[in-house]
Amino acid sequence: MKKQILPMIAMALLSLPVLAMAAQNFSGSWVRDDAKSDPTPNLQFWLTREPNSGGAGGGGRGGGGGNRGAAPAQPVTTVQHDANSLTVTSPNGAVQKYTLDGKPFSKPMDTGMAKAVISAIVQGETVVISTTQPWGGMPGNASLEIKEVWSLSPDGKVLTVTTHRNTPAVQNSYKTVYNKK
Amino acid sequence: MTSKISRRKLLAGAATAGLAVAGSPLKAAAQSSQRPREAKLPDVWGQDFMYQWSPSENVKRDLTPGNSPIRLSHIQMTSAEGTDYAALFKRMRDNGWTACEVGSAQWLSRKLKDSEVREIKTQLKAHDIDFYGIHCAGNIIAPDPEADRWQRHIIEAIHSAEEMGCRLVLTHAGSMYPNRNTPHPQNWSKEAWTRTVNALKRIIKETAGSKIEVAIEPVNSESINNPWAQARLREDVGDPRIMSGLDITNMVHPGVAFRMTEFTNLVFDLLEDQINYLHAKDFVWNGMMAGLNWSMNATGNMDYETFLVRISRLKRPANVLVEFLTTEEEYAQAQRNIRAVAQKVGVKIL
Repeated sequence: MKKQILPMIAMALLSLPVLAMAAQNFSGSWVRDDAKSDPTPNLQFWLTREPNSGGAGGGGRGGGGGNRGAAPAQPVTTVQHDANSLTVTSPNGAVQKYTLDGKPFSKPMDTGMAKAVISAIVQGETVVISTTQPWGGMPGNASLEIKEVWSLSPDGKVLTVTTHRNTPAVQNSYKTVYNKK
Repeated sequence: MTSKISRRKLLAGAATAGLAVAGSPLKAAAQSSQRPREAKLPDVWGQDFMYQWSPSENVKRDLTPGNSPIRLSHIQMTSAEGTDYAALFKRMRDNGWTACEVGSAQWLSRKLKDSEVREIKTQLKAHDIDFYGIHCAGNIIAPDPEADRWQRHIIEAIHSAEEMGCRLVLTHAGSMYPNRNTPHPQNWSKEAWTRTVNALKRIIKETAGSKIEVAIEPVNSESINNPWAQARLREDVGDPRIMSGLDITNMVHPGVAFRMTEFTNLVFDLLEDQINYLHAKDFVWNGMMAGLNWSMNATGNMDYETFLVRISRLKRPANVLVEFLTTEEEYAQAQRNIRAVAQKVGVKIL
């Protein structure tokens, strides 16, 4: 009996690292499922009073503008995932590549006035992307820690990104659900 | 008696940025060249053909903290009859507020009994709360005869502040419209300026001998829309009791909205000895129009690290009023952000 159990334990131990690396593949084109997603907070501005002017009104950076009269296109997020990296192309065309080694790297924020420190790693069947940045990308902002946990449904057709945002002022979480196109 | 100070001395005082005003004229003269000659930020690339609203790439941020601790304040004080001051100040303390001010309209609506004044002072001391000032309503240059009424209101507030052991009252330069929050086209005219100067001279004269300082809050909708105007107002009134109730956010416009590190440093350089307390707010520019909007403290364009460091370097510790938020939860959130930034840069908040 012992002779049978020991090899089994050894095999199980040997397979642990493999399991740890066994994140499902997130590659594909993904469309946000608004019905199943939580409302996304305003990630750029934390207004404390109603806006008093026209314009973007707190919308996302670079928002507004064209496409008048056309049927709204479904915004598609494209993901390429291999053993070492995750490349995300957002609906507005911005590309972000993450090396899945857990090592932090810094990246200029959109404002050009501050940097974010980012790392990404595979944890079990999920990918975890961690970011630390000044809240709004301006000098002297309070620190914001963002943790995104990416997971797939068993059939691989639904991607769920759970985002945790921690600041000294408040902590909150929300999930965004995407369906494979 | 009103203590007169010369225009030259006041100019030097604004220039010395932290040096003694009255006692060190040589030092003041040596430093006077540091005072910018124009009411604008230094030129950067593109200044010759565009309103240059981006910062230069090499803005230096000196985050060396000073030794002055900061007390955070929240308007929760009241003169409402039957107030349990022990409970009120304990609640302030428990929530992290160690200083307070009060709105004049409510405060002066009822004459406090001597026993109430004694009780308030006892409980302030017991809970180590600094009741430093009265935040005045009204408009000292409103169309007549309202201006007179509001000037007398400020004078009454000064007497009450004296009785309570406060250090200041806060008021504004005012608007030519009845409501001071509404900008009048002539608010930056010679007439408006003269009305403000004369109103403040009267207030100072009629409270001569008082140690209560008159803090003027700058705001874009009135003539004190930049630190140079703030310094000039003190010169023109000619009294050292005219101080700055500094609200940097109230002075922002597109020209400085993304250059807040420079603007904050410049404001402190110009007004340092004139600042007797401050307001803490934040803002973003999030629309096509040049309308700026209030945001949670330390999430917008204000450089809170530089702001808190510069406050900590003031020779006289200054209280900081967190204001213009809506709910108590927002005030708690703002306080957590401010304390976190302060801790990061080594500034002590009591």
